[in-house]
Amino acid sequence: MSAVDLQGGAGPGGRVLAIVTQPLVVATLLIVGLLVLGEAISPGFASAQQILRLLIVAALLGIVAAGQNLVILGGREGIDLSVGGVVSLSAIVAGNLMNGQDGGIVPAILACLATGAFFGLLNGIGVTLLRIPPLVMTLGMLGVLQGLLVVIRQGIPSGLAAPALSEFVTRPFLFGLPGIIWLWVAIGLVMAFMLKRTVFGHRIYAIGANEQAAYMAGVPVRRMRIALFMLSGAFASVAGICLLGYSGSSFANVGEQYMLPSIIAVVFGGTPLSGGKGGYTGTMAGAILLVILQSILTTVNIDESGRQIVFGMTLLVLLLFYGRGRAMRA
Amino acid sequence: MAKLELRGVGKAYGATVALRQGDLEIEAGEVHALIGANGSGKSTLCKIVAGSVRPDRGEVLIDGRAVTVRGPEATGALGIGIFYQELSLARHRTVAENISLPRLPRKGGIFVDRAAMAAIADRHIALFAGVAGAGFGADVPVERLRPDQAQLVEIMKTLASEAAILIFDEPTSALDRAQAERFFEILRERKRAGVGIIFISHRMDEIFAIADRVTVIRDGETVGTARIEDTDPTAVINLMVGRHEAASADAPPDTGGEDGRASQSAAQAVLAVRGFSGPGFRDIGFAVAPGEILGFGGLHGQGQSAVLRAIFGALPGASGEIRLNGDALQPTGPRATIARGCAYISGDRSRDGVIHERPILENVTPIHFLRNRLGLAHPARLRDKAAPALEALKTKFAGFGHPVSSLSGGNQQKVVIARWLIDRPAVILLDDPTKGIDLSAKADLFALIRDLADEGIGIVLYSSEDAELLANADRILVFNGGRVTRVLSGAERTRHNLYRAAYEAA
Repeated sequence: MSAVDLQGGAGPGGRVLAIVTQPLVVATLLIVGLLVLGEAISPGFASAQQILRLLIVAALLGIVAAGQNLVILGGREGIDLSVGGVVSLSAIVAGNLMNGQDGGIVPAILACLATGAFFGLLNGIGVTLLRIPPLVMTLGMLGVLQGLLVVIRQGIPSGLAAPALSEFVTRPFLFGLPGIIWLWVAIGLVMAFMLKRTVFGHRIYAIGANEQAAYMAGVPVRRMRIALFMLSGAFASVAGICLLGYSGSSFANVGEQYMLPSIIAVVFGGTPLSGGKGGYTGTMAGAILLVILQSILTTVNIDESGRQIVFGMTLLVLLLFYGRGRAMRA
Repeated sequence: MAKLELRGVGKAYGATVALRQGDLEIEAGEVHALIGANGSGKSTLCKIVAGSVRPDRGEVLIDGRAVTVRGPEATGALGIGIFYQELSLARHRTVAENISLPRLPRKGGIFVDRAAMAAIADRHIALFAGVAGAGFGADVPVERLRPDQAQLVEIMKTLASEAAILIFDEPTSALDRAQAERFFEILRERKRAGVGIIFISHRMDEIFAIADRVTVIRDGETVGTARIEDTDPTAVINLMVGRHEAASADAPPDTGGEDGRASQSAAQAVLAVRGFSGPGFRDIGFAVAPGEILGFGGLHGQGQSAVLRAIFGALPGASGEIRLNGDALQPTGPRATIARGCAYISGDRSRDGVIHERPILENVTPIHFLRNRLGLAHPARLRDKAAPALEALKTKFAGFGHPVSSLSGGNQQKVVIARWLIDRPAVILLDDPTKGIDLSAKADLFALIRDLADEGIGIVLYSSEDAELLANADRILVFNGGRVTRVLSGAERTRHNLYRAAYEAA
């Protein structure tokens, strides 16, 4: 939906081409293609049960990518490399607060959201007030979080997911889909509404497209940027809680696997790293695509290091593709 | 035979002609002043001599021999030394190193000869002994120097080139009187030694103090050269003004009302500014009456832009009293001033105005959001608000959803201006708003501005195009060296008076 507007102005002849080359359409076609490929390699890959499992994993990634998406949209080299650390920390905090009891869920959610938003606040302050480049600031924050995790794990146990949380993530809830899928759909709707229909959303695009012009038009640029990093931290902490529900208990650096894929999902979805355009719908498709790709790689027995190489290459190829498109338009 | 001669030199950038017909002749042992209004082509002429711009046609001759100047390195080899207005100093290096930077004395081919470098530095620093001020020395890093001291280093660096032709592009802008006088003494010495000097300045008094001849450039053409003893400042300004003055149709007919409006007390003024000082301007005071278009004129960069940005809150470090419709205004930032009804339109729309690649609608609405403290963006309602604002400027666009980048420059600027019109502002600050837009867009813009003024909105218009200012402003404050040196109203608003005030010593 967001991608359609960006292509306005194309003639009727160019419109077909424009639709076909839209990131969202490309991603959907690739998703179908990869499912067919997976089925061919390993019969049963595209079974309903299997697809559901992939969607749950994609939802976890997609929730992290929602925050990443906002930070990247805000421009000025916006990126959040600390999301993985926040996911891990939240999983541990949540596991210890609920410790297998349903009654601990609400305090755990509140504590995790506060934790995520707090580290996002620190990132935002570093980037705006101290003028540290986001790449450096959030990488430093990731280091801090990793150190913190080591310290925490020496003192306290890993903690256990509350039964209701595990059920929410893994058991069918409505129309055969678990709660986390519905949560993801809800996040998608809220993100689309926010970006298209709220002043806050319009301002995100404005600071991403031309920060100076936004400032001259009265947009509170610093506050906006701090808010984006806080949202990124909050989304990562939600993903951390859900991840705890998915795996039952937390373990060290469980969130580490989210940093690179969350960026790839955003770029795949049509939001350039320079910000100012794009949206979350494409990012959701990007997250699904990545999870399927990961699953296929696992199916053909490519180990973790091999998958990392493929992911890194994917990001670089994507940047080459989109980067070139931007340069030609400028 | 002339030391340096330019014959019929011309340069065009696409359809824009920067220099039509540049003729200039510098004798050995003379100081030759070059003068011309904003955009007349004198800086292009200098760049051609300096080798940073290649002329499309014409010849450059040194000692009667046609030469092609290829870049700064070649300039040095040809015996041309240039002082750049925007200083070209290595900030972290010392005064001595900067003086010798273009031609570092070497030992054994690769090592810097520090003794020779110190000798060169001492010789040139001695030239300004007694006037350079405290904290100036060969071993001081340039970043620790005051602006006037940094300018002295640039002068020393130019002198150290020992070139037979020296070009100084506004070398005295930051210097105090004693420093400038010492500099002129040094120029006279060099002149006696046979050096040909091109001296560019906007100060008529300096030109008449130091130059032997003066050449006037107007609209990209050399229009005359005179010996200084055969001319006077009025004659020079008349040459700069040229046919425009004869036509004299620049100024609108005097309605007689402006002076009355202008003298209204500050309490009735839409915008009243008193004792306003900040980076690049000092002690500015003026009042804009309802229905009045107040013009800011003068040479480029004399503080006009800075004043407008400071009132809008986009330039920190200003102090003084600002009253908007009688109430004090604290320019703490654009957010605060916009909420109070200030509008600021920048001529640099690509930097300050256009939200690139975003839809036209999103480019028109940000001020409306802020003024009405909106939280939700309702596209249909916003389109209804935006349409009349765009219509008022006769903006041509195909659809609200199309990216702003798909429009022409003039229409992009109209979109940026339209964002200020949905909710009527109290005052509109126009900072050279027509830069780079086409004639019909300019006409649409000025027609609208007059209508807005008639509605009672206070308008301040800075324009680098004198004709625009003379045609549209009811009163013109002439800026010179960061201060208002003259106010032109009624029949005084002529190109001649404008130039005269702009080129007088501040």
